[in-house]
Amino acid sequence: MDLYKVSPGPESFLPPAAAKMGNVLPDPGQGHIGGTIVPEEEAMEMAARKFLEGKVPTIFPGPLVLWHWNEKAAKKAKAIRALADAGPFRLIPMADYRPKYPKINPEVEINPNHPNLTIWHNEIDVCIFVGVHCHQANLSLKIIRGGTDCYTMAMCAQAGHEDACLSFRDATVEKIERLTWWVNKLKAEGVKSQAKEFTQFKHIPKWREAEGN
Amino acid sequence: MNKKVIPEDRKIISSTHVKIGQKNQKDQVHTEPNEFFYGVERITKFFTGSEVIQSAIKVSHCDVMVAYPITPQSEAAALIGELFADGYIGDYFRGESEFAVMGQCAGAAFGGARVFTTTAGPGTLRAMENFPMWAGSRLPIQVCVTCRGVNSPLSIQPDTLEMSYLLETGMLIWHAETAQDLYDFILKGFIVAEQPDVHVPIAVCCDGFFVTHTKDTVDILPDDVCLPPYDPYKSPVPCMDMECPPVRMMRDPFIMKSNYIHYATHASWQQEIHAAVERSRKHTIPFLDGLIDIENGDRDILIIGSGTAVSQSREAIRLLELEGIKVGLIKIKTIRPFPHEEVREALKNAKTVFVPEFNIVGWLAREIKAIVPDNDKIIAGPHVAGGMTMPSEVIVVEVKTALGLNVEKIKM
Amino acid sequence: MSAEKIKICEDLYDIMPPEYQDIVENATYGKEGRGWKDIGESKELIEQHSLCAGCPESIAFRYILASLPAPEDTVFVGSTGCTSLVFPMVAVHNIHSLFGNQNAIATGLKRALMVRHPDKVKDVVVLAGDGATVDIGLDMTMQSWFRQEKFTTICFDNELYANTGGQESGLMQKGFVSKMAPVGKLFDKVRLPEIAREAGCHYVVMMTSSKPNRVEKAIRNAVHVAREIGPTYIQIYTPCILEIGKQSMEGLDEMKDSEGIGGRFTYKEYVTDAAAALIKEMDDAEKAAKKAAREKAKAAAKA
Repeated sequence: MDLYKVSPGPESFLPPAAAKMGNVLPDPGQGHIGGTIVPEEEAMEMAARKFLEGKVPTIFPGPLVLWHWNEKAAKKAKAIRALADAGPFRLIPMADYRPKYPKINPEVEINPNHPNLTIWHNEIDVCIFVGVHCHQANLSLKIIRGGTDCYTMAMCAQAGHEDACLSFRDATVEKIERLTWWVNKLKAEGVKSQAKEFTQFKHIPKWREAEGN
Repeated sequence: MNKKVIPEDRKIISSTHVKIGQKNQKDQVHTEPNEFFYGVERITKFFTGSEVIQSAIKVSHCDVMVAYPITPQSEAAALIGELFADGYIGDYFRGESEFAVMGQCAGAAFGGARVFTTTAGPGTLRAMENFPMWAGSRLPIQVCVTCRGVNSPLSIQPDTLEMSYLLETGMLIWHAETAQDLYDFILKGFIVAEQPDVHVPIAVCCDGFFVTHTKDTVDILPDDVCLPPYDPYKSPVPCMDMECPPVRMMRDPFIMKSNYIHYATHASWQQEIHAAVERSRKHTIPFLDGLIDIENGDRDILIIGSGTAVSQSREAIRLLELEGIKVGLIKIKTIRPFPHEEVREALKNAKTVFVPEFNIVGWLAREIKAIVPDNDKIIAGPHVAGGMTMPSEVIVVEVKTALGLNVEKIKM
Repeated sequence: MSAEKIKICEDLYDIMPPEYQDIVENATYGKEGRGWKDIGESKELIEQHSLCAGCPESIAFRYILASLPAPEDTVFVGSTGCTSLVFPMVAVHNIHSLFGNQNAIATGLKRALMVRHPDKVKDVVVLAGDGATVDIGLDMTMQSWFRQEKFTTICFDNELYANTGGQESGLMQKGFVSKMAPVGKLFDKVRLPEIAREAGCHYVVMMTSSKPNRVEKAIRNAVHVAREIGPTYIQIYTPCILEIGKQSMEGLDEMKDSEGIGGRFTYKEYVTDAAAALIKEMDDAEKAAKKAAREKAKAAAKA
C-alpha cells in the first residue's frame, strides 16, 4: 500500500481514518509528519515552524491539562502557557466533551462534536491538541480534516495520533518545554511569527477581581 | 503504509506501570510484559482447555470476572470462581443472563477494572447488543468465546457460526487453535486490548469441547508472576470513577442530539473504533509472531483456516503427503483485524486453496474470497456443523476430488 | 475525588469559560449538609438541558443533584430516554450504555469501584425512566436487589415512554389510552415499590417531586442506606405534561393532584429495621449538630 498522506483538508465527504489506510503510529522517540515517520526532534521543529507560519496559530488544551487533578497536570498547564506566550499563540480550551446545549461559543471554546465551528469562526489555520483524551482528539482531528483547511497537530501523552497532520507521542512536561524551546530557537534564528494580532480571550470572574487577581 | 511492522520485533512497547516489580495481593510480582512472555521460564502441564483458561486468569491480575453457566464454558467460569475464593481476583459473581453479564462487565470496565468473562453460542447471541456498545465505549473487556451451535434445534456441540456474528462489532477477534494458543491469546489479549491507542474489547475464541474439554500439553507461567495492572487513566476516554477530569462527563452522550454536524460525529466515532482495531496490528504482529502462520506456503495447493480446522488440516496434509500430494498450510490467528495483506501475499502463487470450517455458511471463506483477486481458486470447504467432527480424511477427499483424482469411498 | 481536586490549573484558569470557573468556585462539592436550599445560592451541578419547558423531570433532577450526600464521589448510571438528554449536562460522572441494562451496569461499576478504591466511599446511583426500570430492565433491576447490590435505584415514573412519543408502559395506569394501548391499558400499574420491598430493598419511597424537602430527605436516606446496608429504591412521579395533554405550568398541580389521599402517588415508604436504625442515627446526629450550632451561635452572641 502506498503512503496515505495526512494533509490539511477539506478531504472528501468523510475523510478516511488514517489507521485504516495503513498508517502506523510512531514508536517512542519518533513522531510523524503527514503520515511519514520521522525522528521526534524533526517533528518538533516542524511543529514550531508551522506554528510560527500560522496566521491564527491556536493551542487546544483539553481536560487532562485544564483540570488540576494531579500535580503533573498543573506542571503541564504551566508549560502550555509558556508555549502560548512564546509565540504568542492563542489558547482555546476543550473543557469537556459533551454535546453542549443550546450551543457552544466558538470564540472561547472548542467541542469535539463540532470542532469545525471553532476553526471556522476564528479562522484558525494551524492548531495543536494537548491534554485531550485520545478518542475525543481523534474525533476532532477527523472532523477538522473533513471540513476545514486547518493544519492539525497533536501532542499526545500516549501513543500519538495518525489522524493529525503532525503528531508526537509520550508528551511530558519536558517535551512541551522542548517545543517552546524550538519556537524560541527559530525566532532567534530570525523566523518571524506570522500570527495576526489577537487578544487572548480571558475571563476574570468578579470574585477574582475582588481578590485583586 | 508508512512503516512495516514485522513479527521479528517480538516485543510490545510502552507497557510501563509504576507497579512493575511490586507484588500484588497474592504476592505475585507484576512483571513487564516482554519479560513476562519471553523471559520467565514456563512449566509444562497436561490440562483441559477449561483449566488452561483458569491458569491464564490466575496470572492475569484480573479485577472483576462475571460468570454465567452455559456449555461448554461453564467449567472454566466455575474454575475462575475458585481463583476468586483463593484471592486472585478482585471480585467475582454469577450474573443473571448473558445480556446482564455483559452489562455488568461494562459497568466494571467503565469503573476502570480489568474485566474477564466467558460465554458461548446462544449466550453470545443473547449478549450481542452489548458488544458494539463495549466497542463504541472503548471498553477493553476480554470475553473468551467457546464456540458452539446457535440455531434451533438446540445444540451444545462445537460450531463456529457464532463468530460470524461478532465480525463487525468493533471488537478484536482472535481464534485459538490449541490449548497453548488459548493460554497465550488470553494473556496477550489483555495487553493488546488495553493499549491506549487500541483500547477496544477482545473476543478470544476457541472451538468448544475440541479445545475446552480435551487435554493437551501447555506451557504455563509460574504462579509467582502476573501481568502489570490495567491503568485506566491512560484510557482514550475518561474512567468513570470521579477521580479524573472532566468532572462533567457522560459515557457516552447521544451525539445525535447535538445541534450541529452530529452525523459526522457519529461516523467519525465509528471510524475511530475500526481504526483502533487496525492499530492493534502494530502490537499484535510482533506479539503473536504474525497474524498468520505459514507452513510450506510455496506449494500449489494450500489449506487455510482458523481454530481446530487447522489441526485437522495438518493431519490431512500428512495423509496427502503419503500419497505424494504436497499441500501447504496457513493458519489465521486474528479474524479482526483480518490479515488482508498477509493472506493476499500468502495465496498469491497458489493454484487451489481450501478453506475447511466448522460451520455451515463458510464465513471465513467469504472473508478470504473478498480480498483475493483470483478468488475462483478458493474452494469453500469442507464444512461440518452442529457438533460434527471433521475427520482429516474428509479434507483429503475434498482436496483429491477437486484435483480430479480417484477417490475411494470412505469406509465406515 | 476530594472536592479540592475539582479545580482548574492556575496557569489556564483565565481561559476557561465562566461556567467552569463557576462550578469550581461556587458548586457545593464536599459541602456538609448540602440540600435543595442551595439551589439559587450556589452553582448547580446541572447546566442547561433540553427537556420540554415545565417538565417536572428537570426540577426532580435539580433536587436530586442538590441532595446527594457526596457528589464528588458519586457516579450515576442512566438509561435511554429523556433523562439521557440531561445527563451530558450533569457535573458528576455518569454512564449511558444501553436501554434497560442500568442496574447491571451499576452492579459492575459499584463492584469495580470497591475493588479499585477500597479505602474510599464511592456512591453509585441509578436514575432511569419507568420503561427502563420496569419493562425492558425489570430483570436486571430486581436481580440487583436480590443480590443486595449496594446502590440506589431511582425511577422517574412518568407512566409512559416519553422520549419515543408516549407509548404504554408497565407503570401506566389501567385504562389510559395511549399509543400502543389503543383501547386503553388493560392491566394495572405495576406495583414496583411493593416488589422492591419483597425483592430485598431496605428503603423504598414512592413520591412526587412536588415537595423538595421530601425529595432531599429520601435521597439522603436512600444513598446512605445503600452505602451501609443494601439496595434502595425511590420512585418519583415526574409527569410527562406533553403526553398527558397538560400545559407547561401544570406539572406541579398534576403532581399535587396525584399525591392526595387515595391518589396513585400518595407518599409511601417501606423501611427495614436495619435501615430505620441507620436513619434514626443520622437524624439524631443532624439534630445534635443543629443544636450544637445553635448553642454556639448563642454563646457567640452573648460574648
